[in-house]
Amino acid sequence: MTGEESDLDRPWVTVVWDDPVNLMSYVTFVLQELFGYDEPTATELMLQVHHEGKAIVSSGPRERMEHDTNRLHAYGLWATYQRDT
Amino acid sequence: MRPFRRRGDELVARLVDAEADIVGLLLDQLEQLLAADPADSGGDPVMARLLPPGHASDPELAAEFRDLTEAGLRSGKSDDLATVRATLPPQGGEVRLDDEQARAWLRTTNDLRLALGTRLGVTAETEPPEDPTDEEGSQLAVYYWLTAVQGSLIDALAAGRGGRR
Repeated sequence: MTGEESDLDRPWVTVVWDDPVNLMSYVTFVLQELFGYDEPTATELMLQVHHEGKAIVSSGPRERMEHDTNRLHAYGLWATYQRDT
Repeated sequence: MRPFRRRGDELVARLVDAEADIVGLLLDQLEQLLAADPADSGGDPVMARLLPPGHASDPELAAEFRDLTEAGLRSGKSDDLATVRATLPPQGGEVRLDDEQARAWLRTTNDLRLALGTRLGVTAETEPPEDPTDEEGSQLAVYYWLTAVQGSLIDALAAGRGGRR
């Protein structure tokens, strides 16, 4: 694989950011609901959002990350997508 | 208010008259916000929170994402709001929801909390009001009341999910 290809293959990610309104139980519930995470995984991601200010909740092709961001917005979570760094 | 509990296939709560009135008024306000011309609500921090940018640092990607998603996001929120209105007993009483209606309530109560929380400048350190009778105190009391409603609904839904496994 050439460097160029690996750059193109670099996945995109969806990031959830901390905000002072969304309940911790709500964020955990939504992550389970939208991504099928089990409760311990969803709780761990929620705590990462809470303590570190953000967490990557999914990764993959750009179109799918746009879709995931949109689904999170429908639930009122503060989410963005970006190329993985 | 009697908080949400799972009863068989339904999520059931009870609201008193005044609580149903408040929810109805908040729904009216949210409906007006969602119906407003996007060009007029560009600088509104509440709309910025309800329809957040999809990309944190690239305005071009964020604008492209908004073009693709904003109309759908607005109409989804309006559909949820209509479901809440249709299942809200106007003079108070029992609220009975199936799982799909419960998700509409979850998303709409969250939107109402986001709207109120943004207007009131709620932070992680905000606490329930000491005086719930003054203007800001009464709004904050409504915010915490919505938090309790939503919290009980999340717990009831999560308990049902655990039970089905």
